[in-house]
Amino acid sequence: MSTVPRIGRPSLSAALSTFVAFALKASLWLWVVFNLAMLVWIFLNSVKSSRDIFAHPLGLPTTWHWDNFWTALTTSGLGVAALNTVVLVAVSVAVIMALSVPAAYALARLGGRSAGPITSLFSAGMSVPFQAFAVPMVLISVGLSRFMVEWITGAWDPRITVAIFYVALSLPFSVFVLVGYFRSLPSELEEAGALDGAGSFRTFLSIMVPLAKSGITTVTVLNVLGLWNETMIVLLLVPNQGMQTLNVALLNFYSDMQYTSDWGGLFAGIVIVVAPMVILYFWVGRRVVSGMTEGIGK
Amino acid sequence: MYMPLLLPALIVYVVLFIVPALYGMTLSFASWAGLGSAFHWVGVKNYVDLFTSPVFLSSFWNTLVLTAVVGVAIFLVSCGAMIVLRSTKGHSFIRSAVFVPYIISPIAIGLSVSFLFNPKGMINTLLGLLGLDGLQRPWLAPENILQVIMVGLTWSAAGFYVVLLMSAVDAIPASLYESAQIEGANLLQQFRHITLPLTRDMISVAAVLWVIAGIKTFEIIIAFTGTAGTPPLEARSLAVEQYLRVTGGPAGGIPQLGSAAAIGVIMTAITVVLILLSRRISRREALEM
Repeated sequence: MSTVPRIGRPSLSAALSTFVAFALKASLWLWVVFNLAMLVWIFLNSVKSSRDIFAHPLGLPTTWHWDNFWTALTTSGLGVAALNTVVLVAVSVAVIMALSVPAAYALARLGGRSAGPITSLFSAGMSVPFQAFAVPMVLISVGLSRFMVEWITGAWDPRITVAIFYVALSLPFSVFVLVGYFRSLPSELEEAGALDGAGSFRTFLSIMVPLAKSGITTVTVLNVLGLWNETMIVLLLVPNQGMQTLNVALLNFYSDMQYTSDWGGLFAGIVIVVAPMVILYFWVGRRVVSGMTEGIGK
Repeated sequence: MYMPLLLPALIVYVVLFIVPALYGMTLSFASWAGLGSAFHWVGVKNYVDLFTSPVFLSSFWNTLVLTAVVGVAIFLVSCGAMIVLRSTKGHSFIRSAVFVPYIISPIAIGLSVSFLFNPKGMINTLLGLLGLDGLQRPWLAPENILQVIMVGLTWSAAGFYVVLLMSAVDAIPASLYESAQIEGANLLQQFRHITLPLTRDMISVAAVLWVIAGIKTFEIIIAFTGTAGTPPLEARSLAVEQYLRVTGGPAGGIPQLGSAAAIGVIMTAITVVLILLSRRISRREALEM
């Protein structure tokens, strides 16, 4: 072991470095404590009376107002909004995956001149901000609704338009990450499948999809997270309050606060929006996070 | 033979993503209040009007400031984590816990953080208890609100980048750190000479991802200021300004679809320029090292 340190003088800089390291570690733990405290604080506020929230901001509720959740779900319309959100997210994510998984597999395996440019075409979409679509989206939504009402079905639901754009705008990211996944899988298995006489579609369904399960789970969960928290598309396309999603309902709830002052109910609403995603994260979170960082890094 | 698998997604992408994006670009050269009203081609007038409008310029400036300041804050926080998190006890728990705000809806983040900062809220109460009355502010007043929003945004986003960059740190062979320790390099030197050069690619990816996310900041500002009122000029980002022009604003004004589309084009352009710039910067740092 060499006794002459090659880099830096030990005494002063070592002491400084120890101090910096200690300070950084302490700050990281402080950050962790703050995050957990915020979750607990939001939860406690959701079961307090509005007076308690202001009089005892840090204490336990004097009486536990579980009825805040009931008020939020019924009177403030978060129940309907929750149903809208669940259906919208479930349908959109199902379609996104049904489109992007086969496409990503094809792009990963399609040799030659076409695959590269098409993959780039998809990933270029990731750098187009949502705002480039705001105006066309509003016009297409109005036009589509008129067209369907006057010519085809006689009725139209703006939530369908929202789902259509959810799918379209989620494709670039989903395809990009999944292509990376499929590329990392060995191709020997498909060759074996082909020798056994399985067609490319059979090979894809029965061999590649199970192999790419962790990547597919990651992308599914990330899409669920993203669309669950989406607000602007619904704000722009859905004027009818009964058809809006949780985040927009929460904003409406907040706008009514000057008349209702139901702060306990507002925090109950926040818990209703946040809790499903926190549960999802603690259920599949770690796997998803590692899958995501792998996928992005590629 | 792979075409049947690819075609459905490709068709949806072209028809519902590329075509609308080009349509939006075309509309930015028109003056229009929506279907059923008069439509005129106006050339680049929308762009000229925007860049001479103080309201637009302030939202343009706010967006750049917000993206830059929060980006630097996230970078510093991530560097701190990259210096010590490897050797901290409970590091996987810390990672899971700092990531949590990222999965919370920005609306919920905005409502909760703005509640902490309201005039009689916890922040001012705590400052009072600590005897720091001089630091108490009307945090949500127009002159302070953008700073508070930036704090909230940093809090909600930083965990994601820490986790992302730590995954790159994990990929560095532990033997490099061990031999550096034997040679007497302290944590800061290890960071400077091992971690930073070897995570350069991921830092560049993270910068690109932040630019994409930062430019379109919308929900958290709306949550801070509410949909009932118009967000004050001091807190308006480009996305908020565009939203007000698409809808005509809460006062029920006339939608300005042409200039709203132009804002969308400008935001795309800024995003692309900043992505190229952050790639260039991380490449140059690589050369210096």
